[in-house]
Amino acid sequence: MIDDETLDRQLRETVPYIDDDGFTARVMASLPAARPESRWLRAVILLGLALIGSGVACLIGAGQVVREGIIELATFPIWLLLAFAFGCGLVVGAFAVIFAIRKTPEVRDLTRLEF
Amino acid sequence: MELTDADLIARVLADDDQHAFGELVRRHQSSVRGLLRQLTRTDLALADDLAQEAFLRAYKNIRSFRGEARFSTWLYRIAYNCFREDARRRKELVGVDEEQWQAEQDPQTIDPGLRHDLMHALSLLPLNERTAVVLCCQNGLSHDEAARVLDIPLGTVKTNVLRGREKLKRTLAAWAPN
Repeated sequence: MIDDETLDRQLRETVPYIDDDGFTARVMASLPAARPESRWLRAVILLGLALIGSGVACLIGAGQVVREGIIELATFPIWLLLAFAFGCGLVVGAFAVIFAIRKTPEVRDLTRLEF
Repeated sequence: MELTDADLIARVLADDDQHAFGELVRRHQSSVRGLLRQLTRTDLALADDLAQEAFLRAYKNIRSFRGEARFSTWLYRIAYNCFREDARRRKELVGVDEEQWQAEQDPQTIDPGLRHDLMHALSLLPLNERTAVVLCCQNGLSHDEAARVLDIPLGTVKTNVLRGREKLKRTLAAWAPN
């Protein structure tokens, strides 16, 4: 009679690798559609916030403040305005990169690389 | 860099990434289909239908996978439940298509005569013993993992494996060529 070890080895060796042969494609075709991006919801929220912000600005007379601010900015030296624009660009760029990393799995996985 | 199962699952969860799920299917289709072929006594069409159903359920319920067990163990459990529900519905299991089964074996690794005898002996085992032997001895699950897949006590799994093994050894000893 064969021993346990031999039997287990023979059992493992009888496990065939079953070729995919279109199986994965059939499974993928049967999956429900991926969740649609809720872009309309984002658009509604952004539009709503913009409307609320505009309303509040009108109520507190922010138009006058903005006008005066622009006139004030015009008196600033050009290098200061350039530095301000550069700083704003850096901040916006940093947010864009962070957002892109979070949204892109390939890039996100690269951050887990160990050297 | 090869992504781990955990990475792929994270992608499915975060972005509903169906390509990542497709990769999981590609990785595990052979073992899940193999298990179901054993359970259905190598009825290939039924086994593949059940495997497809199992992967579909896995996709729909992937949020319930908490990572406590291996992903393959979780898949086996779903596949086994699909099989059990189907068997309950049918109240019968279909016969063996051994010719087709043998065509998929690797002829280099094991003697064809012994393979034939082993597969036949395995198909003759009662379902509970066959399932336990396939999971533990063929697919390398621990007794504990098999107990979770089959939703039965650990002691029952051990008993079924032991009994199944003994029966296989007896059967193979009787059929062994001189």
